Amino acid sequence: MSALGQIFALIWRDQQLALLRGAALGVLVLLAGIGLLGVSGWFITASAAAGLAGTGAVFDVFRPSAMVRFLALGRTAARYGERLMTHDATLRALAGLRVRLLRATAALPYDQVVRLRGSQVLNRLTADVDALDGVPLRLILPLGSGLLAQALTFAVVWALVGLTVALWLVIGFVGGAGVTLLWAGRQALVPSRRAEMAAQAFRSRFIDLVQTRSDLAVYGQIAVQTQAVLAADARRQADRRTLDRIERRAGLALSILGTVMASGALGLGMYLASRGDLVPADAAAGFFAALALMETVAPLRRAVADVGRMGLAARRVNGTLAATPASATGQTGAGTGLQAVNLGFQRRGAAHPVLTGLNFAVLPGQTLALAGPSGSGKSTVLLMAAGLLQPTGGHIRLGSLDLADWAEDSLRNHLVLVPQRAALMAGSIRQALTLAAPAAADADLWDVLTVMALDGVVRSKGGLDFALGPQGTGLSGGEARRLVLARALLRKPLVLLLDEPSEGLDDATAARVLTGIRRFLPEAAILTASHRRGELDWADRVLNLS
Amino acid sequence: MAQGAGRDEQVLAAMLLPVRAQLRLAAGMSTAASLIWPMQAALVAWALAGLLGGNLPWAAVAGFAVAGVLRAILTYLAEGRLFEAGLQAVTTARERIVQREALATEGMGAGAVAALAGEKLDAVLPFVTRYAPAQGRVMVVPFVILALAFWQSWAVGLVFLITGPLIPVFMALVGMAAKDASKRQMAEVGSLNDLLVERLQALVDIRLLGAEKTVTSSFAEGAERLRAQTMSVLRVAFLSSAVLELFAAIGVAMVAVYIGFDLLGVLQFGTYGAPLTPAAGLFLLLLAPDYYQPLRDLSAAWHDKAAALAVAGELGLWEAAEAQPLLGTGGGVARLSGAAEIAVSGLRVRRGGRDLSYPDFTASPGQTLALLGPSGAGKTTLLRLLAGMAVPEAGQITVAGQALTAATADGWRARLGWMPQTPHFLNASLAHNLTFGRPADVTGALRMAAVEGVVAGLPSGLATRLGETGGGLSGGEARRLTLARAILTAPDVLLADEPTADLDAETAAKVTGGLMALAATGCSLIIATHDERLASRMDRVIRIGGQA
Repeated sequence: MSALGQIFALIWRDQQLALLRGAALGVLVLLAGIGLLGVSGWFITASAAAGLAGTGAVFDVFRPSAMVRFLALGRTAARYGERLMTHDATLRALAGLRVRLLRATAALPYDQVVRLRGSQVLNRLTADVDALDGVPLRLILPLGSGLLAQALTFAVVWALVGLTVALWLVIGFVGGAGVTLLWAGRQALVPSRRAEMAAQAFRSRFIDLVQTRSDLAVYGQIAVQTQAVLAADARRQADRRTLDRIERRAGLALSILGTVMASGALGLGMYLASRGDLVPADAAAGFFAALALMETVAPLRRAVADVGRMGLAARRVNGTLAATPASATGQTGAGTGLQAVNLGFQRRGAAHPVLTGLNFAVLPGQTLALAGPSGSGKSTVLLMAAGLLQPTGGHIRLGSLDLADWAEDSLRNHLVLVPQRAALMAGSIRQALTLAAPAAADADLWDVLTVMALDGVVRSKGGLDFALGPQGTGLSGGEARRLVLARALLRKPLVLLLDEPSEGLDDATAARVLTGIRRFLPEAAILTASHRRGELDWADRVLNLS
Repeated sequence: MAQGAGRDEQVLAAMLLPVRAQLRLAAGMSTAASLIWPMQAALVAWALAGLLGGNLPWAAVAGFAVAGVLRAILTYLAEGRLFEAGLQAVTTARERIVQREALATEGMGAGAVAALAGEKLDAVLPFVTRYAPAQGRVMVVPFVILALAFWQSWAVGLVFLITGPLIPVFMALVGMAAKDASKRQMAEVGSLNDLLVERLQALVDIRLLGAEKTVTSSFAEGAERLRAQTMSVLRVAFLSSAVLELFAAIGVAMVAVYIGFDLLGVLQFGTYGAPLTPAAGLFLLLLAPDYYQPLRDLSAAWHDKAAALAVAGELGLWEAAEAQPLLGTGGGVARLSGAAEIAVSGLRVRRGGRDLSYPDFTASPGQTLALLGPSGAGKTTLLRLLAGMAVPEAGQITVAGQALTAATADGWRARLGWMPQTPHFLNASLAHNLTFGRPADVTGALRMAAVEGVVAGLPSGLATRLGETGGGLSGGEARRLTLARAILTAPDVLLADEPTADLDAETAAKVTGGLMALAATGCSLIIATHDERLASRMDRVIRIGGQA
């Protein structure tokens, strides 16, 4: 609940005015609906009474009938305005929330970010934001405007019909609906959480089944895994059945509440009219108002079904937003060159360190290649050198400062790492490159493309405006690799860290690309992780990590 | 386009066919619940008219309450049945997808098919629980109310008759706009999410390039642009529903004003002879909103239908892409008896529109064999054929003296070991991934696969949960784990796909060593590779070039 409150507070701060206006219109809609039925009922009953009494000719028909028309049209207009305003405000707030989520996730430490990659966390984050539109639209605003409409109706019914009927209506509706919603909301929490977990189990087991079905078939496990997938779904359906039953029971309770309130208002009105405390038309107005008040509680039923899901989504989004950013403070060092002293790294909980006591130095203009079998820690050294992983022993100096003391911004201006699986995004070639250098002119872009032996490819595809698909599709593996390298070169770093830079390139292109890198950045200190012969030959020195 | 939409309707109808009787019953119950309202209206009219006449008809009030409770219960039961029917239809379709995909040999990506079987299929549920009963009510309730209105007053009946059809006509126009709108809106939301997912996936690179600010501000622009587009779409939808409400409101207001004037005696037409009684006037007034309500319910549920049809379209595509299932059931059965000999003759498959032919060969028990050839020659396909996980176009595969068929495939696979080129691990402990829950001592197998030290170095040893592609392990380590897994089943034949691809010489030598250790126990090896060094260690090399 408090998670939902936090989310609403965020949305509220962002869109206070629009939400207030929308809520005011929402109250108007409800009031107009109550007024419409109340006045119509009163009008018909009063006309019937006047007709019976033979005073029809002097009965004022124009004011009530004008009021009926005004309320009918007013309600329609107010509803249109209310929906437009609240949806617009909510969408604005959610768009803002997405941006904040991106910013907060970008600030996560590297080992957490890596775990996000390719996992469902991403899809969940987006689905979570989608689920949150219900917080203002289906929960808080209807609840708020419903309560306000109840309060105003109480005042009006008291003034026009009488205190007894007014009290009956407000106590019955607010109390009855309140108890129902609290009960249903509490009942729904556990099954909706369980249904969500079962949904995730279904998804991950099914993906496992599809991805490993050959292995499973050979080891006779297809039936077992299929059963596991279906069992997760069966659990989820059982929880959804429970949820649906809770929601329907809430609906049943609200519906019966409506009937009881309306019959009560009718009976009470009849009793009071028979005692002469009320005219029959006022009794009718009370009854019709009771019918219309149903509209203040009925929409909350949807919220009951959603509240568990929204709560989960809110908790996850809050959790991500609360992530503390990586150190933003630090210094800017001078000088260049990279130096590792007695460097060691051990994964948390692992029995053996990945590496220990590593020493090396790369001066400007030098190239050092780290060699060794896979698993020997080459990539780990690069990640530490890029400041993404903290060494568990020794330290790395960049220029005059320890790496840990550098401010993030100036560190990134001095040093670039091209990881083994660097990512490209949808967009033009120009956008892909200017991501690294927003101020670069087209001539600079063509320069670096030429160095990477990509100019021909890009020209044949239609130039810098050629649009890459999602994840950079539209280029071959080798072309994508060279584009990623070109992007890094545009930063003109003093220290360049390359993880298997020529992977996926044929020997001739690899040689051209490697020579190009050095020619483009003659002064850079270059550290690579390599196992290709060409890269090892290209480096000035090779350090074997085995 | 129209044809495509027709197909979607057919797929949706086929999906709901098994629960049609249930749906019809539930829609009937929902309609019956709606028809209780005219009775309640009559009772209220009786009560208020009685009050005007100086009576106190308490029975009418009690009747109103009882009928209301009855209506609520009937609705509750109808909703329960609808949900159950919808859930059943969705679950049946989901099981069909899971069962077929479990035995499929190719098909769409795991993520896409999981999304279809999971959250997308769920979109059919609101269609069943909201749209279907609204459709049932629309076909009965307005006509009943119309008849009741004409029975009391032809003028009120006429108002209904004229304003009523305006709604479906308008709704047809709105419906088209709304369908487009909801489709576009879904697409917009989808593309915004894609944008976010892509940026989140590229976060490390964005950080390394110092481009956080650029990326966030361009994403903010995108999010804002999409919000504006979504709003312009929503505006159409809201406007249309406002117009529907307006028609209904005008109709109700006209009826109310007419009845008021009639009761006052100002108007002298619209009834049959005698003027309206107060009871009839109140009755008609109470009926008026419910005349329009079913139509409004239907239009409010329109996007449920659009969403269900979109899912049906995807389901139809999935059904159309029916792929060949593997031989057998993939369940664990007793090992096929007989010497582990493999004979292949005249084998041909069709792949990607071209024919691949394989040379005839025989592998006797214990023999080691390399399938050598360039990428795309069909080495992996041959391994799959030998394991009964693909079916040839022509030719014969004989295993242990019997033809490889659906009847023998499971028993044959029980004798095989399998090393895929890309290791995938289940979302479970490493121990489970090695043994699949059988009690077994894994130490010997780990040692033979030279992966003992790697497991010891994992954070929680055998209890470690590996990422789906063996995250936390290097490519060579993950490969050797699949070798250990194969060794654990004491296979007679090991099928290995490119066991040394992308590995440096030292790691490749370790993997090769493990393979040779397994061969020394008498297991046949059939290895698809383009590593000449590995091939030279085998007894025989079979070159696969695709030349027929």
